[in-house]
Amino acid sequence: MKFTPELEFKGGKVRPLSLDDIDHLWNIYQQPELPGQAKPSHKDQIARIIDYSVKMAATQRGMMWLIEVEGEVLGMVSVFDWQPSSLRLMLRVDGLPQLTIEQRQAALQCAMDFLAKKFHTRNFAYQWVEGQQPEIQTMLTNMGYELRATLRDAWRVGEEGFANVLQYHFLNHQEKPKAGRMGEFDNPAQNLNKDVESSTNDKETK
Amino acid sequence: MIWNFLAGDYLLRLPVADSDRTILQELLQVPAASAHIPRLPFYFDGQLDEEFRQIVQRFEAREAAYWMVENAEDKLVARISIQHISWLQRSARLQWELSDLIDLEGLQQILPALKKFCFEELGLHRLEMRLRPDFERHNQLLTALGFEYEGCLPEQLEFQDESVDLAVWSILAD
Repeated sequence: MKFTPELEFKGGKVRPLSLDDIDHLWNIYQQPELPGQAKPSHKDQIARIIDYSVKMAATQRGMMWLIEVEGEVLGMVSVFDWQPSSLRLMLRVDGLPQLTIEQRQAALQCAMDFLAKKFHTRNFAYQWVEGQQPEIQTMLTNMGYELRATLRDAWRVGEEGFANVLQYHFLNHQEKPKAGRMGEFDNPAQNLNKDVESSTNDKETK
Repeated sequence: MIWNFLAGDYLLRLPVADSDRTILQELLQVPAASAHIPRLPFYFDGQLDEEFRQIVQRFEAREAAYWMVENAEDKLVARISIQHISWLQRSARLQWELSDLIDLEGLQQILPALKKFCFEELGLHRLEMRLRPDFERHNQLLTALGFEYEGCLPEQLEFQDESVDLAVWSILAD
């Protein structure tokens, strides 16, 4: 079974992680974007993250993609705090300094489009932590996200420091799926080998 | 660590499954006590059994703690809990279910002791409360107690066929 699709965006793609990506992920985690974020000390930890990424996607707890531009891995898109039945989740992009804001936005958007179509997700949240690039806030606003709350000192930075977390939400207001008998619609849930209805982004499920 | 403590005229103590069933049900069956969370009132014994199971397991995992709040006449006036304790981020979510026997004056005695316990004993830094935004009594109490309004998160849960937004308020360690 396949749990995380490969999705193309203009100039690049997001793709699932494999054990061949240990060095790519190691490289990303050595340059953390979040203030105070610890760097992994051993590559075994990276292998575990890759293993978790598969398990999380299989159980609709989370999803992780690498962002690839012209054959180079420049970042990753992560889904976490996923509440599938509440149709909401949290997103995050971690990028190397070379990842442009346009590429970041395109990668995030194609992940959101997929999640909306495949899992009926309506409510996308994104937390920006004070200390991150301010351009990310502009990007979120341009994508239709709205700042909903500023969570004071909600992110721990070191032993005694804290940073505010600005929580953005994007609501797509799409209709909620109607409940039927289980299996009636053959909704393939996490198994991407069973296709969903086609539209422009259909490469993703093939 | 001793988790029970006095707060002015009030005692905050961990619940005891056998002896607290009846008094807790009396509080939790009142719709107004938990409408701001929101949560349905407790109508059946089975609900309380499940509630006690969760209280115990969450406490054993140190992901939550629930206190029965009793006044000088030993009457239960509220249940207050901290949930989603994040020892890493040093934060927790505060939740309260209040009876008509507790007012701002009472909470002004309870909150300083609760803060002292959470911030000094447990080492937390941030206590937040998430609740429906349209409950004026709670908004007034939170404001008067020194909580700061941080915003409103949309469509956080489904309740009675409705998407519910949750307002976030917080108080920080000094």
